[in-house]
Parts: sequence; C-alpha cells; structure tokens
Amino acid sequence: MMCAESQLQEIVYDLAVSPDFEEDGLCFAARASGLYRSEDGGRSWQDAYASLELSAALTTSVVVVSPGFETDRSVFAGVPGGVLRSADAGQSWQVASFPPPAPFVSSLVISPNYARDGTLFVGTLEDGVFRSGDRGTHWAAWNFGLLDLNVLALGVSPDYGRDETLFAGTESGIFRSSNGGRAWREVDFDSGWAPVLSLALSPGYAEDGTLFAGSETHGLLRTQDEGATWQRLAEEPLSGALNSITLAPDFAERGEVLVLHEDGLWVTRDGGQTWTVWPSREAMAAGVASLATPRGLAPGAPLLVGLMDGSVLHI
Amino acid sequence: MSKTRSRRVVFQPATYQGLQRGINQMTDAVRPTLGPRPRIVAIDRILDDKMPEMLDNGGIIVRRIIQLADRDEDVGAMLVRDVLWTLHDQVGDGTASAAVLLQSVFNGGVRYLASGGNASGLKQHLEQGMRLILEELTGKSRAVSGAEQLSQVARSICYDASMAKLLGEIFDIIGEYGRLEIRPGRSRQDEREYVEGLYWDRGLVSREMVTDAGRQRTEFENGAILISNLEIEQPQQLFPALEMALRQEVRSLLIVANKFSEAAIGFLLANRRPDKFQVIAVKTPGYGEQEQAWAMEDLAVLSGGRPFVKSAGDSFAAIRAEHLGQARRVWADRRNFGIIGGKGDPRALRQHIASLRAAHEQAEEVVLRDKLLQRIGKLLGGSATLWVGGATELEIEERQEVAKRTAAAMRGAIMEGVVPGGGVALLDCQPVLQERLEQSQEADARAAYRILLEAMEAPMRTIAANAGFDPSQVMAHVKLAGPGHGFDVGSGQVVDMAEAGILDASAVQKAAVYAAIASAGLALSVDVLVHGKEQSSPASAKTPGKRKRL
Repeated sequence: MMCAESQLQEIVYDLAVSPDFEEDGLCFAARASGLYRSEDGGRSWQDAYASLELSAALTTSVVVVSPGFETDRSVFAGVPGGVLRSADAGQSWQVASFPPPAPFVSSLVISPNYARDGTLFVGTLEDGVFRSGDRGTHWAAWNFGLLDLNVLALGVSPDYGRDETLFAGTESGIFRSSNGGRAWREVDFDSGWAPVLSLALSPGYAEDGTLFAGSETHGLLRTQDEGATWQRLAEEPLSGALNSITLAPDFAERGEVLVLHEDGLWVTRDGGQTWTVWPSREAMAAGVASLATPRGLAPGAPLLVGLMDGSVLHI
Repeated sequence: MSKTRSRRVVFQPATYQGLQRGINQMTDAVRPTLGPRPRIVAIDRILDDKMPEMLDNGGIIVRRIIQLADRDEDVGAMLVRDVLWTLHDQVGDGTASAAVLLQSVFNGGVRYLASGGNASGLKQHLEQGMRLILEELTGKSRAVSGAEQLSQVARSICYDASMAKLLGEIFDIIGEYGRLEIRPGRSRQDEREYVEGLYWDRGLVSREMVTDAGRQRTEFENGAILISNLEIEQPQQLFPALEMALRQEVRSLLIVANKFSEAAIGFLLANRRPDKFQVIAVKTPGYGEQEQAWAMEDLAVLSGGRPFVKSAGDSFAAIRAEHLGQARRVWADRRNFGIIGGKGDPRALRQHIASLRAAHEQAEEVVLRDKLLQRIGKLLGGSATLWVGGATELEIEERQEVAKRTAAAMRGAIMEGVVPGGGVALLDCQPVLQERLEQSQEADARAAYRILLEAMEAPMRTIAANAGFDPSQVMAHVKLAGPGHGFDVGSGQVVDMAEAGILDASAVQKAAVYAAIASAGLALSVDVLVHGKEQSSPASAKTPGKRKRL
C-alpha cells in the first residue's frame, strides 16, 4: 500500500487512471487547488496545469481519461465554467468555456464510442447537461425535457454507439436520454429517494437493463428493466449518502459492486445480497472521497482511493 | 330578389335516399385524396375569379364544401363534413379513411334496412363491432421511438421525404408534448431550429431597454423576475419593488405587468445603473384574464416566484425578496422574452407538468387541449421551429398545412403507437369480426358484422384505385400474403408494411374508425328529415359565410 500526501490538505474530488496503469503508473487527482498528475502510481504528484501558468488555483471537480487513451492520450477536466482538454496525457491543455453564467461541473462522462463519435457530456449543478460532439472543442446545452437542471451524476450506456442512451441523476430524480443527450424524459423513480448522487450502468446494460443509483438519503437502488421499476438494496448497512458506484467489468458473471457509502467503501461479490466493509482501516479512518479501479474489482486488483484529507492511497 | 322556403318533412324511403346521395357526394369528393398517390380536387373560388384551389387533403376539402343544392342530400353531406372537420382538428389526419369507412358502413346499412332490418338493432351491433375493432387496433399498436422510426411515420402521413426527415428528428427531441412552431420558410428548403429555454410572445415595453444594439436584445445572468398582471400607472407603484431589489442587491430585474404607463417606463429607464442595476419590463403574456393567470402560474413554478394578481387586490406594497422568481439567464427583445434555467423547485415543476398532462388527457374541447399542449410544451424547456420551404408562396402555404396535420398525427403516434399502414391494420381486424359473425345468430348482428367486414377493406381498395391499380386484384394478393402485409403503391408490390416502414398512427386510425362507424350508425337511425325555413338571395350568395353549392 502506498500513501502520498498532496501539497494541500484538501478533498480529492475525483481520480482517473490510465487504462495501462499497471505499466505506466499514470493517474490524475482532481482537487480544489487544481489537477495533479502522477507517473508512478500515485507515489508523487505534479501540477498538471503547470503549462497554463495560472495565477490562481483552478478548482477541478472531475477528471476522466478517454476510452482510447492509449492512442489518443486525451484527458478531460471539469473546472468552473468549462472543460479543459489535453491531447498529450495532461502535459498541455486547451480551454473550452461554456456560455455564462459559469456553470459548476459536477460530472463528466465520455461516450464508450468516443473514438468514432467524439462525444462527451458534462453535468452541471444549475445548468443541466452540456454536450460536445467534437472531442470537447465546442459545447452546447441540451436540456430539452430535463426538468431538473441540478445534475449530480451522469451514466452512459456501454452500448452507447448503438442505443445512444444515458442517464442523469438530479436533485429530484432520474432522467433518461435515448437520443444521445438531445432530449430527456423522466424516469419513473420515486422522488422521495432523490437527490441522486451517483449512477452506474451494468456493462451488459443492453441485455440486462441494469442500472444502479446512489441516493443521498436512501442508499443504493437498482433497476433491472431500464428504469421502469426500482428496488432498494441493502437498506442496512447502506442507509445514507451513496457517492460513487463501481461495477466490475465482468459484473454479469461475478456480481461485484463497490460503493462509496458516506465516507467508507463497501463491496458485494454476490450481486448485492451481502456487503462487507472494504478491508482497509487506513482508508476508512481518513474518510474516502473518491476512487478509481484500474483493473476491476477482483480480489488483489489495484485500487486508488482519494481521501478527505487530500492523500491518495494505492491499495 | 329573394325566395322563401316553407318547412318540409321528408319520410322514408326518401330520407335514406337523400342522406345516401349526400354522403356519397361528400365522400366521393374526398376519396381521391386517400393514399400516397392522391389525386387533386379542384375547388372553384367563391369570392374571386382566381385559379381554383388545388387540394389533396380531405379535412380541408370538406371545409370548402358548405352546401349542396338538394336539401335532403345536404343533410347527409353536412354530417360527413362535420365528422371529418372534427377529426381533422382533433388528430390531424385520417379524414379520407373515415369518409370511405363511413360511406361503406352507411351504404351497407341502407341495403340491409331496405330488406327489412331493424335500424336500432343494427346500430347497436355496429357499435359493438366498432369496440372490437378499436380493441384490435390497440392490441396491434406498437410504440414508436427514435428519429428514424418517427420519420417513417411522418412519411406515411405527409408523403414528403424532406419534411418527414425533419419532423422525425424534431419529434425525437421534443416528444409528444413538445413545443413546435411551423412557420413559412425563407427558402426552397425545409429548415429547423431549436431554442433553449422557454419564451413568451411579449417584448420589451421600450426600445430604450435594449442593451445589445446589434442583436436588439437584452440578456442578463442570474436575473430576478417580478411576476404580475398589475397595471402600473404611477411610478410610485414600483417604489417598493425597486427599493426591495436594491436592498437585496439584486443586480438584474425583469418586471412583468399588464400595463406600464409612459411615466412608469420613464421611471424605470431613469433608475437603471448599467454597472449595478439593470431593469427591463415586459407585458404579462396571454390574452384575457385566464390566459394571463396560466402564464403567471407557469412563470412562477418555473422561477420560484410568487405572482401578484390584480383581481386578488395585490400590490407591490408588501413585496419581499422571496416573492421574486430567479433564473440563470433572462432575455428579452422587442417581440419576446424568455428565461433559461428557472430556479423554481424542480419537484414542483414536475408535479405541475404532470397535472397539466392529466388535464390534457381529460380535456375534450379542442381549444383547451391546444392551450394545455402549449403550456406543457413551454415548460419542457425548449422549442423547435420548422421553417417550411417551397418555390412559391402557395406551395409554402400548402406544405405548411401538411406539416401541421402531420405534426398533430405524430403526437398521437408517440402517445398511442403505430399500426401497419395502407389500410392493413383495418384489414387485419377482419378475422375477429368474422369470428363474431359466425358466433352470432341474430339477423341484425350478422348484418352488422358483414357490413363491417366489407368496410374494413374500403380504405385499402381506395388507396389501390387512387394509385391506378385494380383493387380486387390487390386485395386478392394481399389476403394471400397474410396478416401485416399490404400493398405498397410505390413499388407495386405486396410487402410487410411494418418492415417497409409504412405505418399509421394508431390514434388516428382509432379516431377514424370511431368517427366513421358511430356517425354511420347515427345516420342509419335517422327516419325523418325536417327542413326549416331559409331565405336565400342570389345577391348575397357569394358573401362570406354563405354555403357554397357543389
């Protein structure tokens, strides 16, 4: 286990890792003071925005890498009022600003078909969803039918290239788009369970119609029919705010789900029947704020954990 | 010179004969328009000597035919006219199908009644058969979604590839309740435009309030909105609102009121501080108290403000900060104002829209339904405009009409799904009617099911005939091919209609079936005609509002 303290004591909002993390050790940490980049699996961190020569800290709320990172080296970072994009693995950046007033970026997802469609979506706290179809160069708000513009989470279908489906978790519930974010429709989701803080679609969503939603007050919810009906899972112990959901790439076979509940990690290896605390006392003690799973959830697979105190654990 | 007709009473068999001639004439005027290869109906103009109108839409044609010479016939014709007019207004399509269905059922009924059948019994069984057909159509309906499928539906309605493609895309985005404006285009091509947020057709009360001279528009961020339908005669009425706004450090304020006097406008202009305080004013949207109340309610829910209502005796005297609505962006030009990102409670907004949808589903009056649809469309947070192109003004006008009725039918298609087009869905109702015929012992029931069995073929036969094919041959081939198959007049082949993308809106088909069979049954139960007095004068025959002779 490795532990690296950041220069500032601040929450690690988000983590992203290279698909080839075990070889290149490349990862990114988004913090209030900016974006940090590590090439040694999180042992040491450098200011990823150094090339921008900023005069003040640029709070970074989310960071993601392209599905085709190995070839396109693209990284995207959500900052107040826009998105920064890098085509050289975070060495240099281009700015794409949204129309004023500056929105606060709460989530950023990339089309799994990004290599072909160049599509990204950004969820914002007051301005709904912005969409880019040209690899993050230009952005436009597409909020038709999105009756709640307080977007807290986005989830994109693994089969997006075919079904163009994505979900938005908001202050009052969940919305679905079936046409690549051009229009939204309400999902039949009990508004009493909202706000929805996190979303995760099954890797086999096209076949199993499974989507998980993390609520602020009602823990984990699941649909197995594309949002038509919902069941609450594990009322105990998952009764509070559920900030992040990660499904194993082979979720359909192994049923592994890792969630960030309150400030601790819980895992199930049987599709949600039983849950156990992630076996890291250090992580639990400091309070978990974000995580990244470079190689799924199998026992022994590496895990990066961003903590409330600004440090990042490599477990 | 004028003449006066006295009251005249008409009995059987003259009643049926007169009605039948009228129904046949009106139906035959509409019949050529059914199908993808419609024929044109030329209608002489009443008021001028211009070229006759060239029409291919049954709903429009019947509006132009406003009186037949023979008064017995006129009753039948006007029955068809009313049915088709209502159908056109309600669902936008299906008028020619309804006409040929109505004609087939009525003529079959007259033949049966002439041989001694009972009109009341026949009507009752026709209605039972109608319910069976409606259930069958509901069962055969399948949901339609995605731009491609929606374009197919549009093409089956308007037979216009360019328009269908754009309407498919538009409805994929706006959905069944979305706001769509169809306007005359600026070129030969059809174009579409999407507008974020929502807007109302009320502009700035003074051009001095325009801050962006280039775009003739004012726009501000994180604006406050004061919603009212008060009449601002004196600047003093505005004092409490402006004082409160300044106290609360509101930087941008939109005031909505029913009237602003010159003095009030001058006061607002004088109190602007470009760097500290912007204020603009627009009139309350809507015509009349009810529409204004609706607009204020919608604005309030969207922005989280509280409306100040004149009829409730409200004034701005006790205004507080929480009474102001809020939006991420507010804009206004000389014609419209709009908001983007209203900061009302999203739960309240969703509930409000749900209640409007429920009211829309229950509303029967066309005008009220349209108003509710407009309100829901606005609240969904965006709108689309289709600019209909054409080579001439006349062509644009005609295509605009086609786009409107296609849009209306598409809303129905999204709400209730689609069925195989080209008359196939009706033809596929024959087995259940045949089964019921075989189970029935009563003469009236058997007659009703026979009549309906025959009527279910009428639309497909007409489509084939209009396209220049032999209907009997077409029917034979289609029946051999089995359920779901029909005749594609484009290729001259029997095809699986759903696979070929030839679809009809289920709602339109059901509305046509209901209108046709219920009206035919009603006409068959008419026994006596009584004509009232009417004065007519050749001198006034061409004045607007007079009925035109066919």
